[in-house]
Amino acid sequence: MTNYLIKRILLNIPILLAVLVVVFVFVRLAPGDPVDTFVPPGQDMTLEQKQVLRHQLGLDRPAYAQFYYWVKEVAQGNLGYRYKDGSSVSHEIERRVPATLLLTGTGIGIGVVLGVLLGLVGAHMKGSAVDHALSLLAYIGVSGPVFLLGILALYFLSMTLGWFPTGGYATPGKGGAVDILWHLILPASVLSIQYVAMLMRYTRASLIEVMTQDYIRTGRAKGLSRSQVLTRHAFRNALIPIVTVIGSNFANIIGGAVFLETIFSWPGMGTLLLDGIGARDYPLIMGITLWIAIAVLIVNLLTDVIYAFIDPRIALN
Amino acid sequence: MKFQTGAQIVAACVIAASTLLGTAEAGASTLTGAFDTGPAGAPQQFNPLTVTAGYSWFNKYFSTLVLYNVEMNKISGDLASDWTIAPDGKKITFQLRKDVKWHDGQRFTAKDVKFTLDMLKNPDMPNQFWARLSDIQSVDVVDDNTLVLNLDKPNIALLDALTNVMIVPQHALAGIPVKDIRTSAWWKTQPIGTGPYKWGKYVPDQYLELDANSSYYRGRPRIDTLINRYFKDDGAAVLALQSGDIQYSYMSLAQVRNTKSDKFRTIAGPSRVLNYIGMNFKDPRFKDVRIRQAFLMAIDRAALIKYLYAGEAKVANCVVTDPQDVPANLNPYAYDPATAKQLLAQAGWSKIAGAPIELLTYYNDPVSKNAMAVIQAMLGAVGVYVQPRFVDAPTYGELVRTGQFSMVYAGITNGPDPDVLSSVLKADYAPPHGYNLMHVNMPELDALLDQGRTQTDVSARTGIYQNVCRYTNANLPWLPMLEANRFAGVSNQVQGFLWTPAPGGGRYMEHAERWSIK
Repeated sequence: MTNYLIKRILLNIPILLAVLVVVFVFVRLAPGDPVDTFVPPGQDMTLEQKQVLRHQLGLDRPAYAQFYYWVKEVAQGNLGYRYKDGSSVSHEIERRVPATLLLTGTGIGIGVVLGVLLGLVGAHMKGSAVDHALSLLAYIGVSGPVFLLGILALYFLSMTLGWFPTGGYATPGKGGAVDILWHLILPASVLSIQYVAMLMRYTRASLIEVMTQDYIRTGRAKGLSRSQVLTRHAFRNALIPIVTVIGSNFANIIGGAVFLETIFSWPGMGTLLLDGIGARDYPLIMGITLWIAIAVLIVNLLTDVIYAFIDPRIALN
Repeated sequence: MKFQTGAQIVAACVIAASTLLGTAEAGASTLTGAFDTGPAGAPQQFNPLTVTAGYSWFNKYFSTLVLYNVEMNKISGDLASDWTIAPDGKKITFQLRKDVKWHDGQRFTAKDVKFTLDMLKNPDMPNQFWARLSDIQSVDVVDDNTLVLNLDKPNIALLDALTNVMIVPQHALAGIPVKDIRTSAWWKTQPIGTGPYKWGKYVPDQYLELDANSSYYRGRPRIDTLINRYFKDDGAAVLALQSGDIQYSYMSLAQVRNTKSDKFRTIAGPSRVLNYIGMNFKDPRFKDVRIRQAFLMAIDRAALIKYLYAGEAKVANCVVTDPQDVPANLNPYAYDPATAKQLLAQAGWSKIAGAPIELLTYYNDPVSKNAMAVIQAMLGAVGVYVQPRFVDAPTYGELVRTGQFSMVYAGITNGPDPDVLSSVLKADYAPPHGYNLMHVNMPELDALLDQGRTQTDVSARTGIYQNVCRYTNANLPWLPMLEANRFAGVSNQVQGFLWTPAPGGGRYMEHAERWSIK
């Protein structure tokens, strides 16, 4: 197991570097000069000042040199400084980590738990009205774009009904756990819809397939009740596709989080990345990309390791 | 009996407690707003000398030498109590207020103004103000309350440029090397200003709280706390206004039309931004003025305003739009596709037109998108084929600066002082020297703009800009489209609130110290 982990981690390093090179190149290929974002259309800065700014930001060096220096700094633990106001990129990201983890963690948590539970219910009550209703909800959840669902939730639940605040992380002046939770519920719930809808379908399908296996009939013959067989035997065997779906949709959740952070003014890394892209703030974009890439690679690794635990037949080699 | 007495005691305690609580809360008033949404906002940018917008919020805790009135037609002093301009126009002497204190208690003096202006001149701190202040040769401190600006040449528009230069404290910043000031942490941890409010609490990415400055020179503000909440999405800010979570927000035209509420009122004002169609004068196709006239006459600007802007804009027929600068008897370029076709035929347009022309813009809002589609259709009806292309601001900047464009749909600040148009219309401000990106080259226009900058007599100056209007109306360096209104929403609980749009925000006397909340 340790050998496998080490091998995977070592393999991930060139993958990570490749991702970073691609992002570095594409972001610089995009038209638009970072220095221009300091001066919007209609205003001006003298040429001399622009050159000083360029030099201060290190933009007067050739591209490959910029990348080399960036990687060198990162290896020493320094993610660089934002073009906008020189604040440390690591510090900016760190500041946003709690809010990001809270949103994505809660979203994934609700999504997985609710999705699997409802899938179980659907499989258990296969063919009933409840099952059909759940399927319908799953289709709506999968088809509805996250930003649309977010805006609808904001409009109906926050504005019209007034049950939830209209965005933000906490009420200015307050900020206790309950206050933050109240602000978190709506965006996290909307974020979870993706997972709930998909997991509901996959869990149900996977369970139904497993339920037709011989060993299930043996279990019933032994005298176990239907629900006992479901939870004790069928479920564990149905987990592989479920774990796959959770792992492979992690990146989608990050994307969804970006939309929802914007709609709900949630101060996470998604909006930070958008700010960086809009301002062509290369160090910030590279820093956040690095973290997202690492997160996705870790989740992929975890998924593979979990497989081995669920199903002893799967050998990691 | 006992129960009754007990209940009475409890009731009395509850009433006492709630009265106390009530009094405590009635003492502290707070105005929360989305002060940095919309085009004039600069959320979470804290150095007022290196940003290009957000001045409305900066005005709350910093001050400038001079400010406009809310109608934006007269400049009066804020930190300056008075000023005189020497007869040759090359010297401006400012008398400063004597009763101004920084938020840390130190006295504000002329040294702070010199410090600020010298810093803007210093190449180690790139900023967008120096381009308009470069005529200042030197700044002399005569005494604590008197300051002299020595100019290379007369420039009355300097006063307009000074309306959004926030004065910063020498005693706090002199110790930091200038090249480190742009990115210094001072701006967002403990800035010191002279404004009606002072720095309170900054919760990154969420809000900034300012507390009333009890020694403000115009009197202690009536509202105790101002909170600027950050919203990534302007729509979310308006929703918060509607639900009563905040008391102020910028609003777009669509939002104004779609929200009717008795909780808040909307305020409208002219944006002082001219929307125009620009043409790359290096492209020989656009040289003939008849072609430019034909383009303009092919577009029904009145209909555009009526249907797309719901009447919340006015037709522009020259580069200035302030009513005092627009003379009567201009060529109205009324919608006339027949004449447009004639002019195009006379100028031989169909022979030189070539492939469809890309109409580039950085506007991405729904109203502008519709406007571009309408313009495309109207020009197409007279045989001019254009293709709208929507990009973001940095992309637009790069494409236009490197000359990779033919036509643009853009907006340019043309007020409150029309001299701002100098750096976009004069021939020697063509790239890379300045922002005349269309490569306009009209020597008579240059001469008029130079005169406007140096004429100190107000009515003579107005006459000059009326001539600028006549000239640009006849010669069309740009095709002037319209000046749209901009909007804000403010809660009905807020009294005494003054607001008008301005490019970048701020610049006018809003008397924040007189605002109150019911």
